[in-house]
Amino acid sequence: MPEVRIIAKNFMDMVASMPAMKLDKLYENGFICEAILRSLPPLAKKYVLQQLHIDVPVAAKQLEEWVLPDGFSKHRVAIDRLVQLRVFVEAVDRKNEKTYKVTPTFQRSLQKLLVHGGTLPREPMASNITVRLPTLEDLEAWALEQWECFLLQLISSSQVEKPSNISSSLMKVFQRRLLSQRDRDAPKLTESGFQFLLMNTNAQLWYIIREYISNSEERGVDAADLISFMLEISFHVIGEAYNVNTLTNFQRNIIKDLADLGLVKLQQGRKESWFIPTKLATNLSVSLADSSSRKEGFVVVETNFRVYAYSTSKLHCEILRLFSRVEYQLPNLIVGAITKESLYNAFDNGITAEQIISFLQQNAHPRVAQRAPSVPENVTDQIRLWESDLNRVEMTESYYYDEFPSRDIFEGACDCAREWNGLLWEDSKKMHMVVKTEVHPYVRDYLRRQK
Amino acid sequence: MPSAPSKLYADDVSLLVVTLDTNPFFWSTFSVSFSDFLSQVLAFLNSILLLSQLNQLVVIATGCNSCGYVYDSASSKNHAPPTASMPALYSNLLHNLEQFVARDQKLSKPDHDTQGIVPASLLSGALSMALCYIQRAFRSGSMHPQPRILCLQGSADGPEQYVAIMNAIFSAQRSTVPIDSCYIGSNNSAFLQQASYITGGIYYKPPQLDGLFQYLSTVFATDLHSRAFLRLPKSLGVDFRASCFCHKQTIDMGYVCSVCLSIFCERHDKCSTCGSVFGQAKQDVTSANSKKRKA
Repeated sequence: MPEVRIIAKNFMDMVASMPAMKLDKLYENGFICEAILRSLPPLAKKYVLQQLHIDVPVAAKQLEEWVLPDGFSKHRVAIDRLVQLRVFVEAVDRKNEKTYKVTPTFQRSLQKLLVHGGTLPREPMASNITVRLPTLEDLEAWALEQWECFLLQLISSSQVEKPSNISSSLMKVFQRRLLSQRDRDAPKLTESGFQFLLMNTNAQLWYIIREYISNSEERGVDAADLISFMLEISFHVIGEAYNVNTLTNFQRNIIKDLADLGLVKLQQGRKESWFIPTKLATNLSVSLADSSSRKEGFVVVETNFRVYAYSTSKLHCEILRLFSRVEYQLPNLIVGAITKESLYNAFDNGITAEQIISFLQQNAHPRVAQRAPSVPENVTDQIRLWESDLNRVEMTESYYYDEFPSRDIFEGACDCAREWNGLLWEDSKKMHMVVKTEVHPYVRDYLRRQK
Repeated sequence: MPSAPSKLYADDVSLLVVTLDTNPFFWSTFSVSFSDFLSQVLAFLNSILLLSQLNQLVVIATGCNSCGYVYDSASSKNHAPPTASMPALYSNLLHNLEQFVARDQKLSKPDHDTQGIVPASLLSGALSMALCYIQRAFRSGSMHPQPRILCLQGSADGPEQYVAIMNAIFSAQRSTVPIDSCYIGSNNSAFLQQASYITGGIYYKPPQLDGLFQYLSTVFATDLHSRAFLRLPKSLGVDFRASCFCHKQTIDMGYVCSVCLSIFCERHDKCSTCGSVFGQAKQDVTSANSKKRKA
């Protein structure tokens, strides 16, 4: 497997790696507590809720009493996660027993949120000021278009008609692990770049946001501020307008970048300007476990290896081009074929058969998605077969011995290599043998001793 | 029903339907005031929505003359402006609840209060509404909710609702919807005990009511996925007594029609439900064949 597995699980892992001081500061915000709570495993959520109004440390034994033997591993995972995120503070009491207590800041914020509800730092603007607000459908379409435009720019800057305003230095940061550029050649997608393209929107978003945040220190921005602002944005209501004047200078800079990614839409009125959060933004606080954000598929694969993609998007065309031969393009339809050559191309680039198959399955057109295998079995089998074709020959570095002085020495050397489990091949008639490189020194020593 | 595999769900996403006892006759005689009770319940309801963005919450008020939906987190009508100190959930729910109580009061018959007995809440109606809602959620949308019902009941059982409640319970059992019950009245509720027992839910009677939120959040906030790993309260004994169909009284022993299994507290010549004619009145030996004594 490639060393960069770019599965951006969620950025709670980033939160977990922050120092305690910063975490305490983060937890003063009720919305962050809520986002953290929602990202926890089910059992951990329950523990937080049940400890929320308990001010004294609770012994670990008492918590364990609730757990059935089957659930013990789940219990451990839940507690570990809670301690990792500093939601629970672990301590040892006088009787030398482990106790847990909810972090006071977290506890206070969540209690307040529960009873008084959360109030965002800004209220939606009155509808008489904000004219021409987009409908929810328009907004979603706009967000997806913006996102695809960004992706297209990410993978091939030349194809974009209206480049977004993301600074080229920031773009470079995003491209860092997805593209590789050798000398003056056009940048080429790396393995992880291909994997990235095949992920669903939510996962891609997480990856980009994670890169954005981890790069923030270099740009002199505090990661904690950034995280708290992102999470705050995710709790705004989709489609409502919020005044830009309510943002701090620092946030105003960020919101421009977010608008380029399609997370918020900026609009300018006569006097005021405002931002409208899109579905992409509100998905930020949802963990990746649920795929509710899945959009409708568009690909139909036929048993004759032809691929029909009902899509107008250039990005989809680019993705299909990664592993199929695009034959012709109609205004709303891309027709291609999966061929041996096109797949070998994809395998060369480090895409695996499983990734291709899962992409085809996840994006299956609703008509075919209802069928039991949404991608015909003969196609999936053939894709896997072609992949395994490439893996038929396995290279092992080895040493070749011949011209043994006597049969005894030859057999002795064979036995020696066998003992080390490194004999690959022997021809006892002609007295040749091949051993693995690792075993070569031992065999050499053996032969020297025989002289 | 449409096939299931295309539905999506996360492990702990739940659809919780809460029935809330608003019987004024019960609350006026009870030691804890309704507003104290409600403030704890509201915090619990809010915490359910807090746990996951996809969690859905429906609240059904159970009055003594009618039942009604008072809150639905999926409904778009909820976007009443949240006031400064109160989440939208609270203001919406309280607003609807007030309307409901006023409507329920108008429906009451004036001769009721003269009898001096506390009329039962319409639990059967609330359960049926909850099940209807869940069925609708099953059949529409791509989300596959993990539904459960929580009955917050205080007033005593109304034996006259026996048949309707049992039907609701069996229907919940068929669609694998657990009915949790939190009974706060003085004695145990036989109906709710049976409901939770049959549907695999939890029946719990909090020993103290000032810490109700703690009981609710510890026991009833547990999603169905996590219940497999936890030791939750089990009821020790379940009151399986039935009500007779003729006088709607709870009975220990009675007569059962061998055709339709209707229960009667006394001998009849003919089953009032299915019309089967029982054996001759004089011949006690033959009548024993057609009627079974129920233990």
